[in-house]
Amino acid sequence: MTASVISAESIPGTGRAARGAIELRQVSKHYGDVVAVDELDLTVQPGEFVTLLGPSGSGKTTTMMMVAGFEDHSAGTVLIDGKPVDSLPPRDRNLGVVFQNYALFPHMSALENVEFALRMRKVPREERRQRAEEALDRVGLGKMGGRKPRQLSGGQQQRVALARALVFNPAALLLDEPMAALDKRLREQMQEEIKTLQKGLGISVLFVTHDQDEAMAMSDRIVVMRDGKIVQSGAPEEVYNHPLTDWVASFLGDTNLIPCTIVERNGEEAVVDLGGLGLAKVRDRGASGENYAVSIRPEHLKFRTRASAGNGCAATLVSSTNLGATVRHRLTAGGHELQLRELSSDRGAGIRPDEELWVGWDADKAQLLVLES
Amino acid sequence: MSNATLERPRPRGRGAPVSAEAAPRRRRSGWWLLLAPILAFDVVLFLTPLGKLVGASFADNAYQRVLEDPLVVRALVNTLTISLASTIVTVVLGYIIAMVLWRAGNVTRVILFAVVLLPFWTGILVKNFAWAVLLQDNGIVNAFLQGIGLTGAPIPLLHNRFAVIVGMVHCLLPYAVFPIFSSLTSIDDRLGLAARSLGAREGSVFRRITLPLSMPGISAAGLLVFIISTGFFITPVVMGGPGDMMIANQIDYYARQLTDFSGAAALAVILTVMVSILVAVYQRVLKAGGQHEDN
Repeated sequence: MTASVISAESIPGTGRAARGAIELRQVSKHYGDVVAVDELDLTVQPGEFVTLLGPSGSGKTTTMMMVAGFEDHSAGTVLIDGKPVDSLPPRDRNLGVVFQNYALFPHMSALENVEFALRMRKVPREERRQRAEEALDRVGLGKMGGRKPRQLSGGQQQRVALARALVFNPAALLLDEPMAALDKRLREQMQEEIKTLQKGLGISVLFVTHDQDEAMAMSDRIVVMRDGKIVQSGAPEEVYNHPLTDWVASFLGDTNLIPCTIVERNGEEAVVDLGGLGLAKVRDRGASGENYAVSIRPEHLKFRTRASAGNGCAATLVSSTNLGATVRHRLTAGGHELQLRELSSDRGAGIRPDEELWVGWDADKAQLLVLES
Repeated sequence: MSNATLERPRPRGRGAPVSAEAAPRRRRSGWWLLLAPILAFDVVLFLTPLGKLVGASFADNAYQRVLEDPLVVRALVNTLTISLASTIVTVVLGYIIAMVLWRAGNVTRVILFAVVLLPFWTGILVKNFAWAVLLQDNGIVNAFLQGIGLTGAPIPLLHNRFAVIVGMVHCLLPYAVFPIFSSLTSIDDRLGLAARSLGAREGSVFRRITLPLSMPGISAAGLLVFIISTGFFITPVVMGGPGDMMIANQIDYYARQLTDFSGAAALAVILTVMVSILVAVYQRVLKAGGQHEDN
């Protein structure tokens, strides 16, 4: 008992880095008969950037709302820094929340918005002002404190919302589609800024989005959700390159799905029969189901010469579309329609006009997965 | 928002100064024809009689005459104080009802709306006499108070200023509830969530978010209710005492008892001017105090 009085948390500096763990244990949410979130287990490590990725209705926002305390969960436990918070109201959970449309208080200036949390915590006026100004400085809006939200651009409003959510040193940051309202360019810039800010502060983040590019760009770990359940979770490259189901593969970008039957599985590798495309060696993560397919991303398909080693087959070119940086080719091969994407600068490399057109891929870029639909 | 649409490039009339309001709409000839019916209606049935009334008020030294009548002065003071009190009570009660409506579930909301609208569908005489029955010496309210032993004898609840204000507030409530309700529903629910996540208790959410953001509704309700209040005529007669007569009652007295039409006209003009001045001051104060609410 006595020894635990001085914990890591009470020592300034050391405590900061160790804070911000979020854990959900078997958390469910029912609305009448509808199950919005189904026995979810999820852990965000201190300092980790975790993204809940899924289409609308997948339960990702509901999950975040339960962590924030805006929604009561029907079953399970939510823990913040190891302590159950199920009975705590949002104000006592000490989490910074950034909402989809920022939810800035329209009748207060940017500075007053940022000050709000400190005012609620009865921080003296001078200190309050100073800390709020520092927070605005941190997001590059030091001179904009006097402006009302509607006098700020979308990107600036987003920064005010971030400063407001961070000014009281919350245990963790919850971001609900914070960039949905920004245009593409600004979105990419804000992604980088948020990432830099998060790393600098060492704060853990639970991020909710339906945009897979955003998830790929920002996350340490992506948790893909569908119908209230986690379908796959892992590092961005991991989830992108090694999807467990065809649904995950398609949700995370374009892919070629080729139905197959398994000939042989051994550990990380499997030999499959791709029908018209013959036998091929592919990566295997041990997913099991009734029907199987192989997923090959369009950028992993290459034009090759027949003589080169590895998987491959003869193909016919149907069409080519220039997309700017890349070129998309549509092909048919062995009765399948395939997409191949290459850099515009490499266009046509590997094609021999005098030879039959041949496409191939590396065995570790072809992923065996379960065909759900 | 509206600025953005105004800044769209205009294909013609580049150099011509165009007023900001007229700019985004394309002018079509004959648009004023659409206004003709209402214009004719207003001129014939409103402006002409009003002009005649103002003209009549300047005959026979009417202003001096009515303002020297102590009953008129008293009625003017009554009108202002009763209207002000009714407005404050109505807006406060209306705000509470609007809050309940705002937070209620769908079924409760429909029922409450019906209850709030009921006074709208009932004649003012019916409402006032109903209150008179409730508030009289042997009425339900007094019977109840005596029944629970709070008082030994009936309290005078009728034919006094309290009764007038009760009767007026009942008639005026819908005019306060709806503007306030609509300004409450225009508040983004996430603002409350954001405030809570930032550490606010329910009281702070109300004081710092809900109340300031519903000010447009409150001020609209206050204005509407006050203007309507100043014209009350039946309620002071049915529910008030001799000392609670308002300006409308004096106009009636001058026109029908004294058949002094120029005096009645002068009273009507005085009331109109007084209310106009108060409204102007009110809006000036609102503009200065609530600059954040300019749309």
